Amino acid sequence: MKVAFVGKGGAGKSAIAGTFARALARRGTPVLAVDSDPLPGLAFSLGLESDEAPIPDDAVVERKEGEEGPRFRLRPGLSAAEAVEQFAVMAPDGVRFLQFGKVKGGGPQLFRSQLAFLQIVRQLPGDRWNVIGDLPGGTRQAFTGWGSFAETVLVVVEPTAHSLLSGRRLARMANLEDGPQRMVAVVSKAREPGDAELVTRRTGLEVVATIPWDEALADAERQRLAPIDAAPHCPAVEAVELLADKLVEEMVR
Amino acid sequence: MGKGGSGKTTTSSVVARTMAREGRSVVALDCDSNPNLGISLGIGDEETERLVSMRQALDEGEEEHAGTWDKVIDRYGSDGPDGVRLAVVSRIDNPEPG
Repeated sequence: MKVAFVGKGGAGKSAIAGTFARALARRGTPVLAVDSDPLPGLAFSLGLESDEAPIPDDAVVERKEGEEGPRFRLRPGLSAAEAVEQFAVMAPDGVRFLQFGKVKGGGPQLFRSQLAFLQIVRQLPGDRWNVIGDLPGGTRQAFTGWGSFAETVLVVVEPTAHSLLSGRRLARMANLEDGPQRMVAVVSKAREPGDAELVTRRTGLEVVATIPWDEALADAERQRLAPIDAAPHCPAVEAVELLADKLVEEMVR
Repeated sequence: MGKGGSGKTTTSSVVARTMAREGRSVVALDCDSNPNLGISLGIGDEETERLVSMRQALDEGEEEHAGTWDKVIDRYGSDGPDGVRLAVVSRIDNPEPG
């Protein structure tokens, strides 16, 4: 499966995406977790010490004159799966992790790495790999094609006015020409029984999981630990495990 | 500036409202590409979205650019509680308003 988590900043995308990736890996299928946020987040919730997982310059070549397609791509002969084997960092439970590039390098080097990154997530076969994307907060990157590798986009929504408004804006991704096949909502930091219904009413999206507000998850983030390691049986982690089961089951059908 | 969800919008809105209550003229500028300051100021969902649509219409060439700051605040702004004037001045990357 290929999924992307989007949502307002601070909604809990990275914590949920990281836990989801680990949970899927424990179910036996290879997982690539990708962070296209220039600010770190996903690496920590996967249980990695560092968020450095760049694609080296010599793995990327510039398009020759007269050729079609993006300006940079993986060097000929290097497939998306091979690039993952060679460059992705190994996280606990065997999750592979790639980071699309951080602000500090800047300029053309960053652009090379980003286009190769996009090529990898698009070309990696979704029937053999689970690709889990964590997009930056807000609507900008989501609307500029970075989520287009995913067949399912999961909009993470807190039951707050700000987050609901962002969720409603993100739901319009479905209208894009290369928009996702499926868009659904994940309620994050739920406190009231009516929160899922509120999210559906305000965003128009079906809710596939409700992650309760959980102090243990907040503590894990404070300590920079993966929630699935720090609090494997807390209600929030268990709700993400259920989401993993649900999407795996749907895929099999 | 700060990470998403850290409280930028909420803090700015309280500062803006407090200053307005102390008698100052306050203009609040929402520079977020996913603007939602209107909600925290108390201007409401609908009016926030109306300002966003106006700003979007500018990018789509349906609206003329305002020539001066006064005109920007006049045309792309809205009055909120305590007399705070909110203007949405960000570039919005949301191709399907409505």
